[in-house]
Amino acid sequence: MSEPDPIETRVWDTEAVLADTPAGEHGPALGSDPFAELPGPDPLAARLELLDRAWRNAQPRRATPKAPLTALKREPQPAPVARPRPALKRRTPVLPTLGEIELPEPQGFVDHFLGEDARRVLAAFSHLVEAEGPYDRFGFSPDVIRRAFPFFHALYRGWFRVQSEGHANVPETGPAVLVSNHAGLLPFDGAMTVIDVALHSDPPRLARAIVDRWAGTIPWVNVFYARCGQVIGTRENFTELLDDGQLVLVYPEGIEGVRKTIAQRYRLQPFRVGFIEQALRSKAPIVPMAVVGSDDQAPVLYNVKTLARWLGLPVAPITPTFPWLGPLGLLPYPVRYRIVYGEPLHFHERFGPEGAEDTRLVRYLANQVRRAVQRLIDRKR
Amino acid sequence: MMRRVLVTHADEPIGRRTVKTLYHDARVAAIFAVGDGPPPRSFDRFLAEGAPRVTYARVDLARHRPVTDLFHSSAFRAAEIDTVVHVPRHGAAASEQAPLMAGIAERTAETRQLLQHCLESPAVENLVAIGSAFVYKLAPGNVNRLDEESELDLDPDVPPEIRSWIDCDMLLHGEVHNDRLRVVLLRAPTVVAAGGYVYLHPTLSGRSGRRARPAGFDPICALISDKDVARAIQCAVHARGPGIYNIAGSEALPLSLLARWTGRATWPLPGPLLSLASTGARLAGQSFDAALDGPHLRYGFTLDTRRAERDLGFHPQDRIGMARAGDGALRLETASA
Repeated sequence: MSEPDPIETRVWDTEAVLADTPAGEHGPALGSDPFAELPGPDPLAARLELLDRAWRNAQPRRATPKAPLTALKREPQPAPVARPRPALKRRTPVLPTLGEIELPEPQGFVDHFLGEDARRVLAAFSHLVEAEGPYDRFGFSPDVIRRAFPFFHALYRGWFRVQSEGHANVPETGPAVLVSNHAGLLPFDGAMTVIDVALHSDPPRLARAIVDRWAGTIPWVNVFYARCGQVIGTRENFTELLDDGQLVLVYPEGIEGVRKTIAQRYRLQPFRVGFIEQALRSKAPIVPMAVVGSDDQAPVLYNVKTLARWLGLPVAPITPTFPWLGPLGLLPYPVRYRIVYGEPLHFHERFGPEGAEDTRLVRYLANQVRRAVQRLIDRKR
Repeated sequence: MMRRVLVTHADEPIGRRTVKTLYHDARVAAIFAVGDGPPPRSFDRFLAEGAPRVTYARVDLARHRPVTDLFHSSAFRAAEIDTVVHVPRHGAAASEQAPLMAGIAERTAETRQLLQHCLESPAVENLVAIGSAFVYKLAPGNVNRLDEESELDLDPDVPPEIRSWIDCDMLLHGEVHNDRLRVVLLRAPTVVAAGGYVYLHPTLSGRSGRRARPAGFDPICALISDKDVARAIQCAVHARGPGIYNIAGSEALPLSLLARWTGRATWPLPGPLLSLASTGARLAGQSFDAALDGPHLRYGFTLDTRRAERDLGFHPQDRIGMARAGDGALRLETASA
């Protein structure tokens, strides 16, 4: 009798963890990285190897080759390409360093409460659209972010009391993809990340968050997002940002991260893979990061899916305060945010742009990033 | 290589600008301008010279017979036209009494007629046409970055104004790989000219005045000046390869600001009310429903123009801004950077 397939066994273990099996004989504890405590080689790598072997075995074989061996060699096939694109000319916006910026005079009442560094950061952001007029080609407006910044800066300091580390892992210049976990009904984790990156980078960098298309349909919100530098998640937008050498913030969990109930908090949902393809094509490093605290800011007790479907909303949550307190119940609790940036992953150096065409590789790399983010979450909880 | 060019709708602002630009191009030997109306007064000095390089003819391009007559006329043959520049009509029909829908239908008919005759005429080797960038399908969002490979909006509910541009686009797209006729399609966003003239924007083009738009949406509009459109046409006339190219200037403005700058203030109305009005207008057979509601009023776009920069050598040169006119009023102005 042959030995049981180790890969199948581990898949069963992983699913047991995802099904909220208590810590014990079947696997690691609830909420921890389901991959970390499993013995043996990486199950995904093994699975890939198995698929590869199965594919090779499935290829038709010639029993009696009638032609010389050289004639049987297959003609080299051109690598599949997604779509032809013209040669790209990188247009990296170069911002001045904080030391090079002359401290601007406070322009309003709230500016007096901003620190000098924050005012310098805002002054630096105005250079992002220097050559293009009042708006950049994604609708970003330095004027709007100058008005919104004091409010979110106050939340950063006073409400969420953000602590962060690992800023050295965020590249100072050039394209990069920040990959984070996503939670909380309102996207304050994104706002705090943007503020944190801006305050701790020199020259200041504006993290351009990729937002769900649904956000683009919400009146006023869609305009505010765009003016603050957030970008709707389309292939063209993502490519253009990276080709510009910008810092892109993505939430590969998507809306599933927001739908998480309290039982699933700090457990990453399956990652989408588009960001891996874009990072490989644009030769951008991926920086895994974690925001700890956002899962506690508005814990979802239950998601009324039927109601959400009727209303056309991604989620219809019941929280300890919503809907009991009306819209006020959606406001985040004053939890402390801990943001940590992990070591950059330079997948493009190993696999190159052509790696983006290999769907299995892309899926595998997305899971690697997911594991890295989960590890950061577990470390900071 | 010297070109001999036919320009359609030369009596409209973009056509006039194109004729003027080509007139000052030493590599253009002759210009055959056609339009619906009498020759514009700005052509007087082009036509009055001893051996004029410009010829003007009144032709109704939407009808088969006049176009056939044009392509078989002795004047056309004498001009030895090898390049046709098609600047589709603005929106209004040839007849002032005709409704807007007639003008929209005529645009498609004109393009079809012209393409057919260019394919049949052995002398014509190049066809350069202006298309609209509003043909692209817009994902929800204040700004979509679009390249030439982006999906077209083939939704049957698309407003008829945009539908006609899609029809023109697809007619030309079908001949891009033609071996004999080199077809170049330039997809342009909102075209503006000094003083507030707007072309191609489904809502803002046409006369000044107030427009409705959905409240809570202020999409970014990519812009290009009329002079830059003429420059792009000039580049396409002299380029070698066929293809589809996005062209745009360096500026992009929110719809509300663009409307204000061009003397077309907008009323933000609740979306459901706007949809209701649009549906009512459509049921009543009114043609202005296209201007009332549509994806272009909610979602904006900017264009990736790198292909045009690389293949055509087109770089926008104009900046678009506000300037105080002689009467003290603020008006949209374009100026070379």
